[in-house]
Amino acid sequence: MKELDLLKKDWKKNENAFNQLSEIDIYKMLHQKSSSIVQWIFIISLIEFVFWIGISLLFDTDTYLEENNRADIVWYLHLFDVLNYSIILVFIYLFYKNYRTISTSSSTKLLMQSILKTRKIVQLYVWYNLGMLLLGSFVGVFIAFTSNPKWDNFNESFATQPKVTLISIAILVVVIAGLMGILWGIYRLIYGRLLRRLFANYKELKKIDF
Amino acid sequence: MNKNLEQSFVTQLQENQNIIHKICRLYTDNEDAHKDLFQEITIQLWKAFPKFRGESKFSTWAYRVALNTAITLYRKTKRSVNTVTYEGQQHFIKDVDYNYEEEEQLKLMYQAVHQLNDIEKALIFMYLEDKDYHEISETLGISEVNARVKMNRIKGKLKKILNP
Repeated sequence: MKELDLLKKDWKKNENAFNQLSEIDIYKMLHQKSSSIVQWIFIISLIEFVFWIGISLLFDTDTYLEENNRADIVWYLHLFDVLNYSIILVFIYLFYKNYRTISTSSSTKLLMQSILKTRKIVQLYVWYNLGMLLLGSFVGVFIAFTSNPKWDNFNESFATQPKVTLISIAILVVVIAGLMGILWGIYRLIYGRLLRRLFANYKELKKIDF
Repeated sequence: MNKNLEQSFVTQLQENQNIIHKICRLYTDNEDAHKDLFQEITIQLWKAFPKFRGESKFSTWAYRVALNTAITLYRKTKRSVNTVTYEGQQHFIKDVDYNYEEEEQLKLMYQAVHQLNDIEKALIFMYLEDKDYHEISETLGISEVNARVKMNRIKGKLKKILNP
């Protein structure tokens, strides 16, 4: 292709035509902040880890259970807490392990794969927490209904008026769906912006190397 | 980090800075963005430098890290307002035997290259730098055969952009 040869010739000719930076300029650059997506993923992931641990610390389940006359199951819940935190620790360990493998010296494809894998672990972590939150709220509501005398009135009306039951369940579902929707939206916004280009380039690379 | 390491890095980078300039030229379209990407590549090179053991030449290693940064890690910042476009400064040195037609063709060619996607630009870049298919395939992480096939497709695509 004639034009490409022409381009190559010009490219070589202009090889040394850039404004040269001095060593001092480069020194200065070394100490600037990076704004790479890996940096951002790391920061956002840390926030996510802290956020969900914070959420689980926020709920005082012991008092809740005592108020609902179910102090008998506090022990089981503590056991569950230990399990839950172990799982979170495993997530953090996996995240860290994968994050360490991200290397700009590896091939482009490998680099992209390791970034996406790291991201996936945090995503799984968030799904896990959402699942736990959902499970927790269902169990909590169930305990309140079955064991708290304050709810007896409601229980009666539920028993006599099936419509009330249906509406209550519907409201609960809508509220939960709404919350998850908002969360999902925030996610799309953050990661969509951050990873759109990476996804596009990864797809293109995979297309070449089907 | 230790001073010697920093000094050795800065010296080598200073000598090899044109590699980075060329990548910036391909992946950005104005001077601010060029500076921005240059800085990000420098930071990434510096971060990766302690692991660089001199198994390959500094320049070979720098090619890879710089390309990876441009394709994968770099986030375009908003502060790059379109100031001077590259068309205006594409040709720094004017030939004695200035050829208007050639100049026009080159301008179109640079524009066409700028329209390629990030991966295609990487392939074209390595082609312009006389890298062989072995190195291209290793840098991108694709097979040699597929790198060759893709290169031919890109040539076809460029032809199409030039002669619609």
